[in-house]
Amino acid sequence: MPGMQLNGVTIDDTFAEAFPMKATRLIITAHTAQWAEHAALSLTGFATSVIACGCEAGIERRLNADETPDGRPGISVLIFSMSGKELAKQVERRVGQCVLTCPTTAVFAGLDDGEPIALGRNLRFFGDGWQMSKVLGNRRFWRIPVMDGEFVCEETTAVVKCVGGGNLLLLAGGTDSALRAAETAVAAMRRLPNVIMPFPGGVVRSGSKIGSKYSAMSPSTNEAFAPSLTPLTRTALTDDIHCVMEIVIDGLSDGDVAAAMRDGIASVVELGPQRGALRISAGNYGGKLGPFHFHLHRLASAGVSG
Amino acid sequence: MNALRLRLREPSGKGIRVDLRGVTPAALCPLSEDAVASFEIARGNRQLALGDLFDVLVDGRDAASPTLILEGDLRGIDRIGWRMAEGTLRLVGDAGDYLGCGMTGGELIVSGNAGDFTAAEMSGGQMLIDGDCGDFAAASLPGSIDGMRGGSLVIKGNAGARLADRMRRGTLVLFGNAGDYAASRMVAGTLAIAGACGEHLAYGMRRGTVLCLGEHREASSTFAATHHDFRVYWSLLRRHLALAGGVFAQLPATAPHRFVGDIAVDGKGELLWFD
Repeated sequence: MPGMQLNGVTIDDTFAEAFPMKATRLIITAHTAQWAEHAALSLTGFATSVIACGCEAGIERRLNADETPDGRPGISVLIFSMSGKELAKQVERRVGQCVLTCPTTAVFAGLDDGEPIALGRNLRFFGDGWQMSKVLGNRRFWRIPVMDGEFVCEETTAVVKCVGGGNLLLLAGGTDSALRAAETAVAAMRRLPNVIMPFPGGVVRSGSKIGSKYSAMSPSTNEAFAPSLTPLTRTALTDDIHCVMEIVIDGLSDGDVAAAMRDGIASVVELGPQRGALRISAGNYGGKLGPFHFHLHRLASAGVSG
Repeated sequence: MNALRLRLREPSGKGIRVDLRGVTPAALCPLSEDAVASFEIARGNRQLALGDLFDVLVDGRDAASPTLILEGDLRGIDRIGWRMAEGTLRLVGDAGDYLGCGMTGGELIVSGNAGDFTAAEMSGGQMLIDGDCGDFAAASLPGSIDGMRGGSLVIKGNAGARLADRMRRGTLVLFGNAGDYAASRMVAGTLAIAGACGEHLAYGMRRGTVLCLGEHREASSTFAATHHDFRVYWSLLRRHLALAGGVFAQLPATAPHRFVGDIAVDGKGELLWFD
C-alpha cells in the first residue's frame, strides 16, 4: 500500500469508514465532582460496542459548577446507538439504574435541538405518586422523593443524527510502543468536544471483521492485523509490526470525528516511530457500507499544517 | 405589515363599558387604516367602530411582527388583548378588566394599572404590567376549572385578592404586595411574591410553588415544614426567576424554608420563604 511518511511514521493511503448513528448528551451533576463521576462511570460502563451493549457511551468532559444547569460540578456524557428507539431504551435503563441510584445526582438534557426521547418522563413513576413536575420556561423537570432528598431530572433529552465508527489503527513494534501511541492519541482526542472513544481506556485490541466461519458468531477477529498470523494469512502487516491497537471514535458530526482523527494522527506522528507507532492505518469495508469516509492522508496533512 | 397606534380621544372611566375583544395586533396590523377605523367593537349592547373612540395612526409600514400600541385612559375598556396569540400589544395608560385574558402567545406590555381578572386563564406568551392589578389576576374565569396555565406574567406593582386562584402552570412574578387568598386553590405553577402577602395564603393549594420574600403570616396549620436538601431544585427555580430581574435576580444561593400543603387537599404544594 503506498504510504506517506511524516516524522518517520508511515500513514497508509486508506480511509476509515463510519456509519450514521443516533446520539444524545446528558449532563450529570452531583454534590461533588466525585459523585458525578461515580454516576457517569457507572452509566457509561459496559457500553463499548453496539454489538452487544446496546449502545456506545463515554464521558465527554468534566464540567465546572458554573457550566451546569444547577450550579454544581458535573460531567457530560455522550450515548450512541443504532436507532432512536434503542437509544431511548438504553437511556432509560442506564439513567434509572446508575444515576437515579447514585447519591445526590441530578440529570439534565445536554442538547437543545433534536427529537426528544424520555429521560425523566418514565423514571418519574419511581416516585409512586409523590413525584412533582415543574415547568420552568419551556423545560419540564421532575422531582422524585428519594432517601437523600430528591432526585431532579429533566423530562426529555434531545436525540440527534451522528457518526459512529471512525477509527485509527496504530501499528507498532511492540506492546509498550503500541500502548504509548494509543494512549497519546486518546489523550489528544479527549481534549475535543462532541466525541467519545467508547472502548476501555479509549482503546480496543480486538479489531474485528464482519462475519466468521462459525454461524453463531458474526464479528470475528481481523486476522489481517493479527501479528500472530502474519505468516499464515493475507496479512496487512509487515515483519516489523508486532502489536496493533485500534481507537474507535463516535462523534456528533462527521466534522467532529474528523477533527479527533486529525489530532490523534498528529499526536502519534509527533511521538515518532521510535517511541510510538511505525504506521497508522484505518479500518473500512471497501467503502460500500458506511457513508462517511475519513481519508488518512487528508487528515494527516490537515494535522501537520494545523 | 403596519405598526399601529390607537389613541383614545376621551378618557373612558365612566359610563357603559367598551369591549375590545378582537382588537389584537394580528387582526389589525394587516388592515388598511380605513379598515382599522371601521373595525367593529361593542359598547354595552351597541356596535360601534374603533374610529369612533380612537385616532388611528400608523407608526411604520414594514413591521416584522404585528405591533399595536394603545394610548390613553382605558380604565373603562375591557378585554384588551383578549386571547391574543402573537405580536406585540403595548398599552400606554391604564386598562379595564380582563386584560390579556386567555392570551396564548405574543407580548403584552402595560405601563399603567389593570383591573380585575388580568391574565385570567392566560396560557402562553409574556405579559408585563408596570402598575397594580385588581382581584383574580391569573385566576380562572367564573365556572372554569383552571386559571393561568402557561406563559409568564410579571406585575411590578401590587395585586388584589385571589391572585393566581386555580393557577395551573406558568410563572407569575409579583414585585409588590398580594391581597388575601393569594394562590387559593392553586393547582400547580410558580408564584413568586416580593412584597407582603395578605390573609389565608395558599388556601386549598394542591400543587405548585409559592415563594414569598416579603412579610407573611406563619404557615397555616394545614401546612407542614420539610427539612430535606432541595438545593438542586432551588437553583433551577432561582435561575428561572432571575429572568424577572430586580430582587429576583439576587435571590440567595442557600435554599429557603419549605412547607408542604395544603394538607386539607392534595398537600403537594410548597411555600418557600426565608427568615
